[in-house]
Amino acid sequence: MLNDDEFATHRQELRRGTVVLACLLMLATPNYGYALLTALEKAGFGVDANTLYPLLRRLEKQGLVTSEWNTDEARPRKFYRTTSEGAALAAALTTDWNKLGAAFQTLMENS
Amino acid sequence: MTTTASTLTDRYVAEALRGVPARQRTDIEAELRTSIEDAIEDRLGAGADAPTAEHDVLAELGAPRRLGARYSERPTYLIGPELYLDYTRVLSVLLSTVVPIWFLFSGVVNFVTGSSALDTLGGALYGALETAMSLAFFTTLVFAVIERTRRSKRSAVWNPASLPEVLDKRNYFTELIGGVVFTLLIAGALVGAQTIAGVEAADGSRMGPIATGLWQSGAFYIALFYAFVSISFHVFSYYTGWSVSNAIATVILDVLFAVPVVWLAASGRLLNADYFDAIEWPAGVGVVNSIVIAIVLLFAAMDSIDGIVRATKNRRTR
Repeated sequence: MLNDDEFATHRQELRRGTVVLACLLMLATPNYGYALLTALEKAGFGVDANTLYPLLRRLEKQGLVTSEWNTDEARPRKFYRTTSEGAALAAALTTDWNKLGAAFQTLMENS
Repeated sequence: MTTTASTLTDRYVAEALRGVPARQRTDIEAELRTSIEDAIEDRLGAGADAPTAEHDVLAELGAPRRLGARYSERPTYLIGPELYLDYTRVLSVLLSTVVPIWFLFSGVVNFVTGSSALDTLGGALYGALETAMSLAFFTTLVFAVIERTRRSKRSAVWNPASLPEVLDKRNYFTELIGGVVFTLLIAGALVGAQTIAGVEAADGSRMGPIATGLWQSGAFYIALFYAFVSISFHVFSYYTGWSVSNAIATVILDVLFAVPVVWLAASGRLLNADYFDAIEWPAGVGVVNSIVIAIVLLFAAMDSIDGIVRATKNRRTR
């Protein structure tokens, strides 16, 4: 019997790539770490803060998003925005996602 | 408990940033602090009290070390899965061969030199423990260095042709272990011949086949150290693959060893002529000198040629 940890690991692995795609799509409008976290949650993409914050850095390093410190408000915040490269990746990933969805649909209809 | 100036958040951020490279630290710290403050503010707005809000936000972020590791993207392990099996194999082979040999050897030496049985046992146990610890340390060091130096190669496309020959690899591994054991036996035999099996000199002290002055200067330990460097280098090359630079390094190491030894032997400073007279060696010290020079040159040449052949062979298969 699958224990809770193993169950959680399988779910986590299935979700892993979807967070990247969701971030790239959402950051078409510039946003900062915590606001993005809550927006993702509200949209139904459950992600942990300790995964999201380092992920944003990684995406930035790969040139998929850019960042800018916004010091207009009392609390300076780092805003991220999807680059054209990031948008291209998001488009490719969306196509893959749709194909996978269709494939699962067919699979479940036939079984 | 006394109150300190630093808040829970301060402590959390400091702990999380410990593993992060210095040049990214300021930026990550500023962002992380803002994110934490934003989250706390959110909870305060929902009606939580300040200490609870801070506590809950940090608890949700999870272990700071893990967060730090995700930021730094550096391996938080010493020896990774690709080398782990080799590491444990080398370590277990070395420990199961060298340590018992050293235990027996130091036990016999101590006993023959007149220690009591209990002292002998204690000394031998201590020596074996020391040897085991040095072996473990140096093996770990060599593998950790390999792990970090081969990192860059990982992104390259893996080619099945780069697979090592099964037989060759195993033979070389055995050769390597054989080399370590052989080196230790030679070293042990030399120490034995120089101390307990030495003959009495005119002044009553013991002398061995190596010139007394040279022996006392510690040159022997330099040679032993050299042997370990050489062995470590061979282990290193074994895993990183024989490249031209490795072959050149082998030749340099061989020359570094052969030239001083041949020079010492040729100028009559290596061997103790009195010793060979005392044990009534029939041919005199000159012949022994020639034999030593021939063997050293032969070994150095073989090792150098072997390294060059491996490097060129590797090139051809790639």
